This record gives sequence, structure tokens and C-alpha cells, in this order.
Amino acid sequence: MAFSRRNFLKFAAMSAGGAVLADTPFISAEARAKAEGGNVKYVPTSCEMCFWKCGAIAKVVDGKVVKLEGNPYHPQSRGKLCARGQGGIGQLYDEDRLKHPMILEGKRGEGKYRKASWDEALDYVAKKMKAIAAKHGPEAIAMMSHGSSGDYITNVLKAMGSRNIAFPSFAQCKGIRDEAWLLTYGHKPGSSCEQVDLENSRVIVLIGTHLGENMHNSQNQEFAEAVGRGAKIICVDPRYSTAASKSSFWLPIKPGTDTALLLAWINIVISEELYDKEYVEKYTVGLEEVKEAVKKYTPEWAAQETELPMRQIIESVHELCRYAPNVVVHPGRHYSWYGNDTQRARAVAILNALLGTWGRKGGMWLPPKAKFAKFNDGAPAYPPASKPPLIRGDFPFAGGAGVTQVLRDATITGNPYPIKAWFVAGTNLMKALPNQEKTQDAIDNLDLLVAVDIMPTETVMLADVILPECTYLERHDGLYKIKTREAGVAIRQPAVEPMYETKPAWWIGSELCKKLGLDQYAVKGNGMDAWEGRMRRQAKAWGIDFDKLSKDTGYVTIPGSERPYITADNQPFFDTFSEKINLYSEALEEEGFDPVPQYEEVEQPPKDMFRLIYGRSPVHTFSRTINTQWLWELQKENEVWLNKKEAKRLGVKNGQYVRLENQDGMRCNKIKAKVTERIRHDCVYMVHGFGHNAPQMTRADGSGADDQKLITKYIEDPITGGTGMRVNFVKIIKEA
Amino acid sequence: MPRYAMVIDQSRCIGCMACVVACKRENDVPPEHYRTRVLEMVQGTFPDLTTEMRSELCNHCDKAPCVNICPTGASHHEEDGTVQIDRKKCVGCKACITSCPYNARHINKELGVADKCTFCQHRLIEGKKPACVATCVGGSRIFGDLDDPNSEISVLLRKTSHRVLKKSIGTGPNVYYINQYPTRS
Amino acid sequence: MELSITGTNAITYPVVHVWDWRVAIYLFLGGLAGGLMTMSAINYLRPGKKCGPMQSVCCWQIPVLAPILLSIGLFFLWLDLERKLHGHLFYMTFKPLSPMSWGAWIVLIIYPLMILYALAALPDEVKVRIKNAFIKNTADALAPHLAKLAKFNLVFGVLLAIYTGILLSTFVARPLWNSAILPLLFLASGMSTGAAVMIIVAKNKEVKLFFTKLDIWLILGELLIIALLFYGHYTGDAAHQAAIMPFFNSSHDTFPYFLSIVTIGIVLPLAIVMKFLEVTGKHTDEVTGFGLFLMNSSAVLVLIGGAVIRFALVYAGQLSGYGYVMM
Ligand code: SF4
Ligand code: SF4
Ligand code: SF4
Repeated sequence: MAFSRRNFLKFAAMSAGGAVLADTPFISAEARAKAEGGNVKYVPTSCEMCFWKCGAIAKVVDGKVVKLEGNPYHPQSRGKLCARGQGGIGQLYDEDRLKHPMILEGKRGEGKYRKASWDEALDYVAKKMKAIAAKHGPEAIAMMSHGSSGDYITNVLKAMGSRNIAFPSFAQCKGIRDEAWLLTYGHKPGSSCEQVDLENSRVIVLIGTHLGENMHNSQNQEFAEAVGRGAKIICVDPRYSTAASKSSFWLPIKPGTDTALLLAWINIVISEELYDKEYVEKYTVGLEEVKEAVKKYTPEWAAQETELPMRQIIESVHELCRYAPNVVVHPGRHYSWYGNDTQRARAVAILNALLGTWGRKGGMWLPPKAKFAKFNDGAPAYPPASKPPLIRGDFPFAGGAGVTQVLRDATITGNPYPIKAWFVAGTNLMKALPNQEKTQDAIDNLDLLVAVDIMPTETVMLADVILPECTYLERHDGLYKIKTREAGVAIRQPAVEPMYETKPAWWIGSELCKKLGLDQYAVKGNGMDAWEGRMRRQAKAWGIDFDKLSKDTGYVTIPGSERPYITADNQPFFDTFSEKINLYSEALEEEGFDPVPQYEEVEQPPKDMFRLIYGRSPVHTFSRTINTQWLWELQKENEVWLNKKEAKRLGVKNGQYVRLENQDGMRCNKIKAKVTERIRHDCVYMVHGFGHNAPQMTRADGSGADDQKLITKYIEDPITGGTGMRVNFVKIIKEA
Repeated sequence: MPRYAMVIDQSRCIGCMACVVACKRENDVPPEHYRTRVLEMVQGTFPDLTTEMRSELCNHCDKAPCVNICPTGASHHEEDGTVQIDRKKCVGCKACITSCPYNARHINKELGVADKCTFCQHRLIEGKKPACVATCVGGSRIFGDLDDPNSEISVLLRKTSHRVLKKSIGTGPNVYYINQYPTRS
Repeated sequence: MELSITGTNAITYPVVHVWDWRVAIYLFLGGLAGGLMTMSAINYLRPGKKCGPMQSVCCWQIPVLAPILLSIGLFFLWLDLERKLHGHLFYMTFKPLSPMSWGAWIVLIIYPLMILYALAALPDEVKVRIKNAFIKNTADALAPHLAKLAKFNLVFGVLLAIYTGILLSTFVARPLWNSAILPLLFLASGMSTGAAVMIIVAKNKEVKLFFTKLDIWLILGELLIIALLFYGHYTGDAAHQAAIMPFFNSSHDTFPYFLSIVTIGIVLPLAIVMKFLEVTGKHTDEVTGFGLFLMNSSAVLVLIGGAVIRFALVYAGQLSGYGYVMM
């Protein structure tokens, strides 16, 4: 295109204040479309390539989404999208997508399906559900879910009287952390995102949190901002991660000993009186008990336990204290590591409290203050649970999000009561839950497995009925409450019409309600606009201008909600029994757990075996995005990171294919060895989510290795039920 | 007329690859082809390691070998300081690809023409930043006008020591690199 | 160093792989065509030539062969274009700084020169067989200007051969090519292959011997220039030093280059020796069967050597560069 001055000025004049090259100038979506002419449309919506749900703007030309950009108004994207968000078009136009409803013909797992109409498929599901509910009670219908689409199906289950609904994001991920912080602060460390004030931090401690690779957009923006400003990063990780590469202190800790380090730090902070005395006095209870309980955790001891130089342990915590309270020990996210993880999370929470980070600049901001009116669109209350749900197992602090493996166990044993149907929405259980054999056993025991998803994943292809959902770019969801420093509301709305015969999950759930005779729980109104109508009513109830939200900004702030730091007239509220931060937890004590975290050794790998640790890639979301063209081509397979010296000993060359075999004799697909200085000698690392066994996913199928296959063993955290998954040991077998 | 340039703050790059994908979608770059890339270079032995992150793209060289070699004038300089390819004039002789010391070019097989970063000129015209810059999660890519002494990049280049890639070859690149490593201590 | 790059293109990573055998053939045939122009002109213009009437170039086939070989070369170059139907774009502009552009235009000048020369040089016994009156008349009309045309061909032959090297030598990004010596090498090689073809085609023993002698000097020059090229790189910066490494490394990856230098190292000296034997041997006026064999096979060796040089340099040149890591 020739550079035309006139054109240039035309656009320059439109952008805010006429500034040229303003930060991704956001002109009202409508105005921009008009200026560009032709068949261009800009649709503000919310991304769902991961669950950060950034605000995105879809550029649509002639009915095709051609580009996605970050919404500058949305605090979780700030005008930017990560690689996955940018690559979302690839999911929309993935030719491997599920295209129409399908009903299984023949045996599960054989993959023989017949095409069905929506009517037929939903009839089939409803009939089966009714039969199961009649025979075993509605509680025999369970659900596991991740992401937006699950909500509409949970609605169906609850309306029937089942509460057996669990989310892998609890027991296989962050539930443990959330419960630990609830015990300590009476708050989770964040809902939409962690309440870390990274952009203002002077020291950031990351314990296994691999920002940069764990791509949560705004948090990474703030992390880079901190690095750019020269903030000090203390990174505790057996692997030299991207975050470690930005750090002043990299502590390559012996896996499984993080709590030792934390307790020694707490000991130093207290015994050297480096903690924030005023803050601790005012906002916490239990200092003395903690002091007593951590006395034995000396730096010498910790150095031995963690295999870190003692000097490094001491210097790093001194650095941390020097800049407190404008520092933060990141609460982390994926927490199901060793089966004693609640206590590690507690230690992190306690250390933060001692440094006075909660409610301090550069520490953790206070949750925004906003009240949203209750809105359920006139639907009646749900009937009570037909039987007490199983989702909390025997874990006193299992959260409401449910412990998936407990549901799975009950499905296998039929105890205490049978579970005969599963709905699986937006999660690839085979890859999400540890011990695939058990998952398979449970599925074998089901009378009905219904999958609501976009891609023909391994789990979907085990289902009796497959309900193809449309992608986030083709549907309404939400409205979303967004809680960052401020509260706000974001929208998801379709950029284009659903492709093939796919349907939005709200429609699927609503139609299913109708088929089950639960019309009062269905979305009010008919046709594909029904949900939009509901969104309008919701916006009205919340006092939000829906048209502005949907046509112009895609996100609106709740004014006055942002009060991030403690001031005289902005005092923190701790939703605990003591109304203070519980350094010492009576609640834990009552249940027979350590009220102050104590160190427990974890089993170490036997000779010639390595602990298997796993993590994220910045360009993929678990196993969900591997088949997405623009992301797949960036990383087609994962690699197993192997310490260089160990590799030499084993005679493994960089780039050579190997297989891993775990303690139970389970072997994974072949995987490339990355021989590197970047990892300790006693563990190997791979990115989670690869190694699909899903022939219909043509790009992803068979590329790389599946870590979950090797995670046959898991240790349940007795407090929350989280599944410690970094407890598997592997040996390396060279591929001939 | 502006004189566009990019400054890359290497310390801030977190290797997220948002730029790489944004560029592809913005410019409809075919599968497995790229106009920009990100390098990660790790040196040292465990546990004493250092990492250099570096995103790269066409340098829009002042003395561009690709422009010199192009037999048809398809590769050319424009008033705004950028090097562009006129697709209508390109015969696909590939001399420019061979001539670029930065390996910044490739062939768009779908069109049979040479292709490379345009500094997203079509966006500049609309007053937007290049796609990679707009979405750079790390804030590592900074774009602006060298002729404007108050532009962010002019200010940065005045106060920060900077380098260009393969300076000795003498191509006069317009992509500047600062902060090779993150500050530590 | 542990290096990982995301976003590479197969055409430039891990090494540049833009041009292949098609371009190598073009360079070889282009140089050869130049050599033929010059050599046949030398043969015509040289004093003391003893091969028939003055108006004959002796081997009339050579001037005819030159444009044909050039056309074949250009055909391969055309095959390499991504947009084969847009070749005319070369002639929509002249870019004084682009050797590619010169190349396109030089060809436009050279073709007429070649063709006029070929027509002028046609001997009567060939002309009588030409049916087309226009060609015949043109050939007749041109015959008196043969000497002038030969002089032009001599000069433009040199230009064409040297041009094929200049083209590569201007690539600052490819250290192996980026040497002022490269055009000289291509010149010497073009000329010596030209001489080799002269030897094969010529019937007349005196002509054969003349070019055999000439070729000895040309090959010696060529070998010297190769040595200088390598020496120049060897004393250059790291990238230039690395550029010649493939030729001296017999490992798996670089074996073809190693083999090419070995081939050149054997073929060209062998050709010299054979030619030397021929030149210093006793001669009768008739060419003996063995003598003919010796002359022709040494000429073939020279052709092989010339082709190997083009292929080796085209491929190895793309391996050379400043890499991805260098700041
Ligand atoms: S970086 Fe390469 S393609 Fe870009 S202007 Fe310079 S020489 Fe040309
Ligand atoms: S400026 Fe535009 S074309 Fe160039 S690398 Fe960035 S996104 Fe790609
Ligand atoms: S978007 Fe920015 S931070 Fe991310 S890889 Fe590219 S340059 Fe680095």
C-alpha cells in the first residue's frame, strides 16, 4: 500500500487526541469500521484460549475473523494478547473441529459414531438422563468441567438435583492454594487473577511459578515491567526457567523441599526481627506460635535439605526484607505437587503476612470493592441435592469446586452410591487427571458419557454423545465479573456466526433443560438471541450500559471499586474467625493438622531415576491448543529436559528421541531430549499437554509425549484433596 | 515525513511469542513462514547461567543490500524510512533473500513473491503501531519516529547505550537493541 | 551456548538454501558461453593462424553454440524464478546498482552480438544449405564485418564470464562469494572451459594445439586464483574463515564440499599434465587416435572442473554467512 499522507492524517485525527502512534488507539469499534470502509467490523469480546479471559477485539472482514487484538480497556489484556490469544483464529478455523452432534455406534473407544441432529442427540441424552435419575437418583449424574461452557450444564444438573460437579482446576491445580489462603487471610489470593502488584514490586519471589512460560497476560506484562524497572527477582525452581533467567537470585532447589526453604526464611525473618512489626501486631494472630514452631528450621538445616548454598538462602531473604513491604512472594497457581501442598501454600501466605505485603504497594492489592446485584433471571431456586454430594471426599478443607478424583473413585466402586453418567465440558479428562487407567475404569462403568467440546480429544472420543460447542468467537457467554485492582464487567459475544452445526453451550444447556421438562431453568425467550436478551437484563440489574459494553468498549469499570492499598480509611478485612491473618491456624488444629506448617520430607527418586516435573509453554494451553495451526507450528512437540552431565552419563544426545518409563513400568511416546545446563541432575521436565492419542486431531495426534500418562501415582493432600503429581520417577530409555 | 525505527529492550522480552503470531495473522503470513522471530541464547554452566532474549525482524536498513540487488525495483526504500516490497514488481528471483545478512526474508509461496516485515506500514497509516509492538506482552518492542526528538524511541536512544545487529557489515539497520541482559545484582 | 529460535523459515534456517543446481548450471553455461565467444574470436583474430581462409573462424560451430548454451543457461535460471510468467519485469527498469539488473540487460546486448557473429562466421558450404533467403542474405552481408564482430565478441565474452562472478561477489551477506577474486575465478574458469570446447570441436590440429597451450595457462591461472580466493578468506574475518571450512572438513555434513575440492585438485592438474604431454610430444600433421583421445579427455576434465567449481561455490556460498547468533 502506498504511503498516503492524507490517509495517515485521516486516521491520526481519529485516534485519541489526534496522537499518532498512540497506544493501540481504540476508537469505538463502530467508528473504526466506518473509517476503514468495506466490510470491516470490530467486535469486542473475551478470549478463551486460556482462562485468563482477556478482553479481545476481533477484526472481521467479509464475515471472516482476520485478526484478534487485545482490548486496551480490559485490565487483563491492556491492549495486548499473548500468542494463544493471537492464534485463536486457528481454533475457529480448525478443520478438525467437531462439526455436528454425534451418537456412538458400537463400543466406547472404537470411535464409530453416527451423525445426529441436535434434536435427536439431545432427546437421546435427556432420555438416558431420565432413566438414570429414575433408577439411581439424580445424584448419579455427575459432571466435570473447565471454562465458560460448563456453567450452562451445571445449571441442568443442579436443576435435576445433583451437586456432583467437580472442576479439575481445584484438585489438579489451584484449589489447594486457595484453601490455604482462605485459612490464613479469609480470602483467596485472587479470583480473576492473583492480587499481586508486580508492576510496583521491588522484589518478587517466585516459587515454581514460571511466569513467561505460564502466560497469564496482564501478570506477565507486569512481570516484564518489574524486570524492566530493575526489580529483583528471586526465583526458586529446579529448572532455569524464563523467569529464572530474569532473576538476581536463582535458587535451583532440590525438588520437594520448597517448604524447608520457606520455613527457614520465616525463621530468619522472625528471629532476626525483620518482619513488619506494626503490621504483624495489627493484622495477624499467632506470631509467637509460629516463632516457636519454626525455630528448628535453621539456614544450615535448610541448606542441607534443599541443596542450596546457605549464603544464597540468607542473602535472598535479606534482600526481600530490605525492600519489604513493597515485595511479594507470589502465591503461585498450579499447586498439586507433592501431596502436602496446603502447608507449603500456608508457608507462603505466612511469609507474605510477616513482610506485610497484603494491601501494600508492590505487594498484594486488596480485592476491589464492588457489589453486584443478585441476578438469576427469575429462575426458581434449585431443588435441594437429592443426596449429599461426594465431591468433598473426606477432605475437611476441600472447596466447593470439588475433588474430581473422588467422583472418579465413586464411579469405579459405586460407593457410597453409584454414579452412572458423566458430563464432561471443556476439559480433556484423560490429560487433566492423574492415573489414566482409573479414569478409563470409571468411564467403563458409566451408562452415559456426554462430552461438550470443540475438538475431538481423546476424552471426547470416548463419549456416547458428542455435543459440538462453538468456539468463543462464535458465541455469547458471561457477562463476566472481572476482579483486578478494580472491579469491572466484560462481555463475550460472537464475532461470526457459528460454523458447521455447532451451538453455543448456553443453548445446549437450555435446550437440555427443556427436554428434561425443566423449562423454568432454561434461558428465557426463544431463538439464538435469547442469551443476549438475558445479558441485557443482567446488565440492567447491575446498572451497566449494555450497548456501550457490546458495541464500544467490551469492558466497563465499576467506578470507585479500586482501593488497592491500606490507608487510614481503607482498612483490610480478613474473612477469618479471628478477623485477622491467621499465622497460626486453629481451624487446621481442630482437624488434627499442623496449625503452623511443619516440614515433611518427600520421597526422593531412587538411583538412576529422575523426578518427573512438568509445566507450561507460553504458546499452548494444556492440551487444548496443540492442534491450532498458528500455535502448533510454533511448538509441535515437547522435549524432555535432561541435565547435561546426566545425559553424558547416559549417552543421550541433544535432540535424540527417548522414552520415559515410570516406577510402574508405564512408558510414554517418544520424546526429544533437550540436553541442557538448565536443570538439576535429579529431575527431568516436560511441557504438559502433548502426546495426543486423538487421530481426528490431525496435527496434534502423536506429537510429543504425554506427561499425564507417566503420572500413574498421585498423593492426595489430606487437607484439601489436591493430587500431588510430582511424585513420579522415570528412567530414560534410548530410542533405537 | 517520519523516519520509523524500532527499539528492542532485550531485558524485557519474556519469550512469549505473541509478536510472532500477531505478525502472522496481521499480515496473513502462510503456515510455517515468519516475518519475525525470537531467539533465546543461554550461556554458562549449571547453576551459573545467563540468557539473552532477542526478537528480530527486518532492520529496514539504510543501506539495504536487498534493495541494491533487486533487479526490478520491487524492493525499495520509502519516504518513511522503511524498506518495502512492491509485490506487483517482484519476479521471485530470490536474490534479495540471499543478500540479506539478517535472514529476514522468505518467499511467500502462495504468491511467489519475496516477503518480509513491512513495519506494518498499513497500520502506521492508520496511526496504529505495528502488530508485534502493539501486542508485545513484555513491552520489549518499542516503535516510533526517529525524526521526532520527543518520540519514545528517540528519548530511549539518547539515554541508553544501544547496538544494532551485525553493525560491521555496514547495512545501517534501523532496529536498535538495548539492555542485552536484565539488570541483576 | 544453548540456542533456540522460534519463527524461522526453511529457506534461511538452519542455513540459507535459496538457490540450487539451476543457478549453478546457469552460471556454468553463462561462463562457458562467454568463454566460447572470446575463444572463437581469439582464434579468428590471432595472427599466424593456419586453418583455412581468413574469412573463416575455423570452427563455425562455436559461435553458433555460444548463444544456444547461454539460452539453456537462462532457461535454467528462468526455471528458478518463483513467478515464471513475470520475467518481463526484469526489463521494466534498469537498476544501475543491481548486478542482477545488469545481467538482464547484458544478455540483451550480447545476444545480437553473438548471433550476428555466428551469421557472419558461417562458411560457404554451410550457407548453401540454408533455405531461408533472409538469413542467407544477412549472413552474406555480415561476412565482411566478421573481424569487427569478432572483436566485440572477444570483449563481451570476457564481460559475460566475469559478470557471472560479479553477481555472486556483491553479496555482502555471503562471505564466501563476497570477494573481488571471485569474478576473476569465474573469468578464468569460463575462458578455460571455452578453450576446452574449442579443442573438442576443432578439426584442425593446429587449432587444437593452440588452445591446448592456451588452456594450460588458463588452468594454471585458475588454480592460482582458487588458491588466492581461499587464502583471502583464510586471512579474513571469522565469517570468511568459516566460509571455506566446508571444503577442508571431510565430516558427513560437509563431505560434498570436501569432495569437490579434491575433485578440482585432481582434475585440473591432471588436465594440465595431459596437455603438457600433448604440447611437448612429437607431432605429425595428422592427429593420431591417441593424441586426439588425450586432447579431448583433458578438455572434458576441464569442463568437469568448471562445473564442479560453480556447483561447489553456489552451494557453499549459501552455507556461509553471519549466522543467527552474532550481535
Ligand atoms: S534486514 Fe535484510 S531485508 Fe531488511 S532491509 Fe536489511 S537487508 Fe533488507
Ligand atoms: S512490524 Fe509488522 S510485519 Fe514487521 S515484524 Fe512486526 S508485525 Fe511483522
Ligand atoms: S511479544 Fe514481546 S515479550 Fe513476547 S516474545 Fe515477542 S518481543 Fe518477547
